[in-house]
Amino acid sequence: MPRLAVEQVTKTFGVNGACLRAVDGVSFEIEAGEFVSIIGHSGSGKTTLLSILGGLSRPSSGRVLFDGLDVYGLDGDALSEYRCEKIGFVFQFASLLPALTAMENLLLPGGFRPARPPAGEAAEKALELLGLMGLRDKADVLPSRLSGGQQRRIAIARAFMNDPSLILADEPTGDLDEETEAEVMGVFRAMNERSGATFLMVTHNTELARQAGRRMKMHRGAMLEL
Amino acid sequence: MPKEFTLLSHALRNLGRRPTRAAILVLAIGLLVAVLVFGLSFVRRVDSSIRATSERLGADLLVVPTGSRGAAEDVLLEHRVKTFYMDRSIVERVRRTPGVARVTSQTYLATIGGACCDVPDTIVVAFDQESDFVVRPWLEKKIGRKLGKGEAVVGSESAFNIRLGLTEVDGVLFGNLFHIVGVLEKTGTGLDTAIFIDEGNIEDIIRNGKVSLRPGSVSVVFAKVEEGRDPARVAAAIEDTIIETDTVARRDIGKNVAHALGDISRMFLATFAVASLLAAFLAWAVFSGVANERAREIGLMRAMGAKESHVTRLFLLEVLLIGAAGSAVGMLAGTALSFLLASGFTILKNVSTDLGVVERLGIGAAGLLAGTGVCLFGALAPLRRTRSTEPLVVLKGD
Repeated sequence: MPRLAVEQVTKTFGVNGACLRAVDGVSFEIEAGEFVSIIGHSGSGKTTLLSILGGLSRPSSGRVLFDGLDVYGLDGDALSEYRCEKIGFVFQFASLLPALTAMENLLLPGGFRPARPPAGEAAEKALELLGLMGLRDKADVLPSRLSGGQQRRIAIARAFMNDPSLILADEPTGDLDEETEAEVMGVFRAMNERSGATFLMVTHNTELARQAGRRMKMHRGAMLEL
Repeated sequence: MPKEFTLLSHALRNLGRRPTRAAILVLAIGLLVAVLVFGLSFVRRVDSSIRATSERLGADLLVVPTGSRGAAEDVLLEHRVKTFYMDRSIVERVRRTPGVARVTSQTYLATIGGACCDVPDTIVVAFDQESDFVVRPWLEKKIGRKLGKGEAVVGSESAFNIRLGLTEVDGVLFGNLFHIVGVLEKTGTGLDTAIFIDEGNIEDIIRNGKVSLRPGSVSVVFAKVEEGRDPARVAAAIEDTIIETDTVARRDIGKNVAHALGDISRMFLATFAVASLLAAFLAWAVFSGVANERAREIGLMRAMGAKESHVTRLFLLEVLLIGAAGSAVGMLAGTALSFLLASGFTILKNVSTDLGVVERLGIGAAGLLAGTGVCLFGALAPLRRTRSTEPLVVLKGD
């Protein structure tokens, strides 16, 4: 059974009275542990597709199966639990909560779990992840005092806090310089090998997409295998 | 370094991001609650005093000379020094009125400091110890015997007690030497400032010529009605048969003050309503700003697995923290105001008893509920908007 199966997923939006198909009958499968990239121009529907896969936006039609479970057959709270337990998001913008320190940002997702991990255990894991990102000494620092690259690495660490099976990364290096971009990709590959989590990364950067084990392309809402 | 991160810590951190904005809302809620606490304390203090006075007099009816009802209430409720007299024969006529079970009388004399007496202006109450049922319960409790000639007991707040704080001292009243044999407990009535002597002393006082009182006069007749009788009907019967008197039923004592109190209550209520509207509007404006500012954060939290209930609880916690902080400030300010301004309001100075701890706690709880409730009411619309935040829209930045 594939980790993720996408069956004829379509998402339409009404724009000025017209119907816009952001995702148009997309189907594909991803096996557990795969590192997949989806490349496409801005507006090709990549982020919308990622939101659908992550349980953030209900498709207009079609199904998303996670380990055989129909994600959109779940009700509101169960869908939140799906996101909390199974999915780790890495967004295209600096996504740390500004009022919280690096450590608190990492502890935040644990608080949403139905069965909260023991306090000491969560803190230990957060410190371990910060150590992996080389930011253990920044645990008590607010995001405003961190560089863009440091913020991005903390956001990646946070995505792993609940041991997700699927990491969805949306333009994870969009606003980073080449050196930091390479650093982030290195972290991704290391985490993919270390945790065995499945990675799905969308990007418009062809070079970045090539580093994935498998590549797909989105064009005007439709999916092409490369 | 935190080991656990709770919603409460998160809410506190969020409030700390804009301390000035939070402080302004806390202040607005505080002002609202202060108005409520001060208003309630004011009204309750006066109302308690009126009720206490009517209950502690132990009489169902007060019979006073025609036109002296206000003066009698001034003496009984407001510690004021006033005298009024009627013929002693009225005591007997009241006793004979159908429905009256017991009567007793009191005669009020006004001292003039430095002229006749050792004390500044105060009321001296001469009462009939044989028939008395007004002072006796307090007297028996304190000295356990009747007063002899030349003996006096003083109210807990009388000039004698305040000045000397001791019993077994002598003082001159209307040219007669009196021995102070006791201090009565606080009754919460206007009689707390009075000096009590036996009626038998009046002859000597008149003889000394220091008071303009005709022999055979009394100021007030207290009456108890027979069981099952309606005091209002008996009062009407007395007024019908003894036209030179006004009769006040116990429940009507302080009616004029109560009417004034009703007006004051309505004024406080109107002020509180306006302050509530303003505070609710401010809460709406502040939390609307919060909801707009944090839309992306809320989307992020939803993406991380936060349920709608997590977002609601976090927002509610912030609202309740501000409401509770404002209410606490208001409770302290309102209570402090009620003490500080007590001497500035004649009605509080003259007609009021201190509130008990339970009553003060009750008023505090009402303030807490009102302050938090108004804050919550103002935040309802922004809260609803926050709950319906669509994560995808937020994440795409549309």
